[in-house]
Amino acid sequence: MDEFQLLDRYLLIGALLFGIGLIGFLSRRNMIVMFLAAEMMLQGISVSLVAWGRFHNDWGGQVLVIFILTVAACEAAIALALILMLYHQSGQLDIVVWQSLREANQPKFVEDALPEETPDVEHWPTLPPAGVEPDQPVEEMVHRSHV
Amino acid sequence: MAVRPGVPWARCSPPSAWGCWAFAESVFLILAATTIVSALGAVTMRSPVYCAIWFALTLLGTAGLFLYQGAQFLGVATVVVYAGAILVTFLFVLMLAQPKGQTAYDRVSWEALLSASTGALLVGLLSAVMFAARGTGTAATGARDLANAEQRQTEILHPEHMAHLGRQLFSRHLLAVEIAGTLLLVALVGAIAIVAQGKPVPRRSEEAPHG
Repeated sequence: MDEFQLLDRYLLIGALLFGIGLIGFLSRRNMIVMFLAAEMMLQGISVSLVAWGRFHNDWGGQVLVIFILTVAACEAAIALALILMLYHQSGQLDIVVWQSLREANQPKFVEDALPEETPDVEHWPTLPPAGVEPDQPVEEMVHRSHV
Repeated sequence: MAVRPGVPWARCSPPSAWGCWAFAESVFLILAATTIVSALGAVTMRSPVYCAIWFALTLLGTAGLFLYQGAQFLGVATVVVYAGAILVTFLFVLMLAQPKGQTAYDRVSWEALLSASTGALLVGLLSAVMFAARGTGTAATGARDLANAEQRQTEILHPEHMAHLGRQLFSRHLLAVEIAGTLLLVALVGAIAIVAQGKPVPRRSEEAPHG
C-alpha cells in the first residue's frame, strides 16, 4: 500500500497547488501576478502527472511534464511580450484597464472603495555611528621615547 | 510500512527501520509544507516582486517533490527552466513595467471570498473523488500494484534514469519533440514580432514599403 499512499499525497499536493493558483488567477488584478498564478496551476498538474506516471510504471507522465515545461516557456515568452506591450499603451499593469473587452451584457466594473494607502516603509540598514574620535591621553600622543 | 522513494539515499535497507521511515517521512513533509506555504505566499503578497520570489520557492519545493519520486531529470529541469529562465524573465518584465510605489490594483482583489470558495470547492471535490476511488478500486488494483512494485525498479525507478527517459522521448514521442521544437521557434518569432509591432519603427524614407 506504499504506492497508494504516495499517490494520494502527491495528488493532494497537486490539487492544492492547482486550487491556490486558481484562487490567485481569479482574485489578483496585476496581469503579471495572474500569469504567475497560471504557471502555478501548471505546476500542480505536473505534480499529479509525475505521481500517476510512477504509480502506473509508465514514462508518459514524465514525458508529458517535459512538454508542459516547453509550452510554459513559450507561453511565458508570448504572454510577457503581450503584457509589456499593454503596459506601454496604458501605463499600468491593471487588468481593469482592458475591461472594454468584456462581454456585451456584463456590467462595467466601477471601483467603489479604494483601500487605504499604506505608505511604503523602506527598511534601510542602520549602522552605528562611526568616526567618533576616541578619547586619547595627550601625553601618549606627544610622547616620544628616547632612541 | 515505509514509503520507498526513488532516491537512493532514502531507500531503507530493512524496510521496517523506524529511523529511516521517519527520515523519509520528514523530508516529504518539509517539501510539501514548503511548496504549499510558499504557494500561498506567492498568491497573497502585495508586491509582485515578492510574489515572484515566493513562486521561486514553490518551484524549488516542487523540484524536491519530483526528486523524491525518482523523477530526477524533471527535478533538475524545473529548477533550470522554471526557476532559472522563466522566473528571471518575470523579474525582468517587472523591472521594465513596474510603476513607482505600491499600486492600488495590487492592494485590492476581485471577489476574494468568491474565488477562495471556488478554489476550496475544487480542492474538496478532487480529494473527495480521490478517496472515493481509493475505496472502490483497492482490491482489483492492489494485486497489480504489488506486481508493479518489482517492475518499477527495472522501469521507472531504474538507476539509469536519463537513458530510459531519453529513449522514451526520442522513440515513442519523437514527433511530439519535433513539434515542441517548432513551437519554441514560433514562440520566439512571435514574441519578437509582438514587441516590435508595439513600437513605432523609425522609417528610413517615406517610400519604404510598409512591412
